[in-house]
Amino acid sequence: MSEMAEFHDELRAVARDLLDKAGDEVEWRQVADAGWSGLEVPEELGGAGATFVETAIVLEELGRAAARSRYLGHVLAVGALTALSPNDSRDALLECIAAGTPVAFASGFTLRNGVVSGRAEFVPDAEGADTILLLADDDGTPTVVSSPEVVVVVQPVLDESRNLAIVTADGAAVSEAWPLPGDPSALHDRAAAAVACDSLGVAEAMLSATVDYVKVRQQFGRPIGSFQAVKHACADMLVQTSVARHLVNAAVARVAEGSDATIAVAMAKSYACGAAVEVAGKAMQLHGGIGYTWESGVHAYLKRAMLNRALFGSPAAHRQRVAARY
Amino acid sequence: VSELDDFRERVRQWCADHVPPDWRTAQTGVSDAEFAAFQKAWFAELHAAGFAVPHWPREWGGGMSVGEQIVLYQELAAADAPRLVLAFVGIHHAASTLLVAGTDEQRQRHLPAILDGELWVQGFSEPEAGSDLASLRTTAHRDGDTFIVNGQKLWASGGAHADWCLLLARTDPDAPKRKGISYFLMDMTTPGIDVRPIRNAVGDSHFCEVFLNYVAIPAANLVGAENAGWQVAQETLGAERGMTMLELAERLGNAGFRWLVDECARSRSDGMRPLDDGVVRDRLAQFEIEVTGLRGLCRKVVEGHQTGGLGPADASVVKLFYSELLQRLTDFGTEIAGLPGHTVLAKPMSSGWESGAWALDFIGSWEWTIPGGASEIQRTIIGERGLGLPREPASA
Repeated sequence: MSEMAEFHDELRAVARDLLDKAGDEVEWRQVADAGWSGLEVPEELGGAGATFVETAIVLEELGRAAARSRYLGHVLAVGALTALSPNDSRDALLECIAAGTPVAFASGFTLRNGVVSGRAEFVPDAEGADTILLLADDDGTPTVVSSPEVVVVVQPVLDESRNLAIVTADGAAVSEAWPLPGDPSALHDRAAAAVACDSLGVAEAMLSATVDYVKVRQQFGRPIGSFQAVKHACADMLVQTSVARHLVNAAVARVAEGSDATIAVAMAKSYACGAAVEVAGKAMQLHGGIGYTWESGVHAYLKRAMLNRALFGSPAAHRQRVAARY
Repeated sequence: VSELDDFRERVRQWCADHVPPDWRTAQTGVSDAEFAAFQKAWFAELHAAGFAVPHWPREWGGGMSVGEQIVLYQELAAADAPRLVLAFVGIHHAASTLLVAGTDEQRQRHLPAILDGELWVQGFSEPEAGSDLASLRTTAHRDGDTFIVNGQKLWASGGAHADWCLLLARTDPDAPKRKGISYFLMDMTTPGIDVRPIRNAVGDSHFCEVFLNYVAIPAANLVGAENAGWQVAQETLGAERGMTMLELAERLGNAGFRWLVDECARSRSDGMRPLDDGVVRDRLAQFEIEVTGLRGLCRKVVEGHQTGGLGPADASVVKLFYSELLQRLTDFGTEIAGLPGHTVLAKPMSSGWESGAWALDFIGSWEWTIPGGASEIQRTIIGERGLGLPREPASA
């Protein structure tokens, strides 16, 4: 096995172990202690100097655990910062991030006359973030802005494992403004890919839980997994999950390379996020009445899969991007 | 990467020089004999270029990396080259069986011959042994250095043209059903073999019934040990099922899907194009995404086969997903082609499973969801071997 593959296996094993022990909620301190907050921060700034490939492993494991954490929002903000040209203020913030400062990221703002305005909904992990970076249009130049005056209002959603908020800036003062080289849509691609990783984890967890359950649940004097109707449904869950895994891995690789990832991400996001809802739904069905109870927790995965599917572009919207090439 | 680019350029140029531009028209509605002659000639051309058996080991005339194979299949599909239909069992199933389980003598006898055009057929299924293949009834009785075979085989694709047959026959009627089967190489010119083509749902007569009446097979033609035929078949064909998919997946991506987009882009009598309909675009995108996923899975299966990292149900996952995707894609092509699609009464022989004659392709897609382990059998294999689910209680 290559050194890189060993590193990935270890990262995955550590993440799984940490998340097993953490339960439903992972404290930010645990995330920071594990070194995940600075995973993509360059080594000279105190980070691990890793790439999105490694971040993707953590994201997938968080999905597998359906864990509540601040990681998604943080990852998007780190992506915005690493896309910038190095400079002192940016590097200082990345150093804080590597040391464990939680950050978040919202897009769709406008920078005019030195103040920023705009409103973004469903922003992951903005509430409680130390700094919220805003992607703002500065007269045609995409700019990453930091402002101490943004207003954050929590936005409750059905999926209790996510932490979303409405972020508003109304002529807010700006503490930093860094022009973004390159296409800002790459940040959107990265966000969509991150959610696809989470959905892959959700699908894997639901397949695994269902297989475990149908092996032991007895009806008609035998395990229900021995019935073809149940077995074949599990086989279809495996096929969907396998296809999703390939598409997600391909998209993650492209995002990590920094090459144009739009189509690969659109494919991964639409397929994996759709598949996760189907797999989690099938998991609820095959768990029977128990699966429909609050206590079983299957609903938590289903709700997470449903929210993931809607975050950062619906499957239909992503397929439109794919179809634009025909 | 640049080496692969050079190779791609070489294949592309070769295709431009060698793919007969009119083969689709010329191969539509041809007789079986003309089809067979064309297949043999095309195989010889591919072999002369070193493109016929890229997946074989180097010492036997192959040795391409998985990356090169993918490039080769992509370019052949993009150039709309004819497919190797008649040689398929020989270059895949027979070769894989010989390489994994054959004797040196058997390999020396047959692998070079396959490159010279020897054609093979699979004699596995029987009237009473379809999905339950292990219950096969064809018998082979040892008589000194010879086995005498009696019985009937069914769905033997290409049986009418085959020189040799991969045969499963029962050598121990008293053993449990999986432990009394042997695997033979059978010369199709042996007296006592009667091959009768069966017309299939598309209208072709590619698959056959094979009647075996006191057919003598030398004991030297046993593959593996006597009564170990079931295990030999499992070992050699499971992985092979995945290997054959590499080419088919690239065909689906680089020919089938492309033609589907072309079909959607043609103006209809009212001047409208299906491609301008958002629903159609959405379906097309979904197909492209699934084909992309399939191609990736196929690559993983072939690489896993080479490195020994192949999961017990990986090949079944690929076969199941490919066959049902092919069926849905050709169904959609049929829907888009509309009534004019029903006036296409023949598809070009030697074409892929997606020839652009959508209605016939759709009907032909059942030739993928039924043989080689029907979709239901694949789902059971995936459930039991891939996920470790309990087997069904044995029937009485």
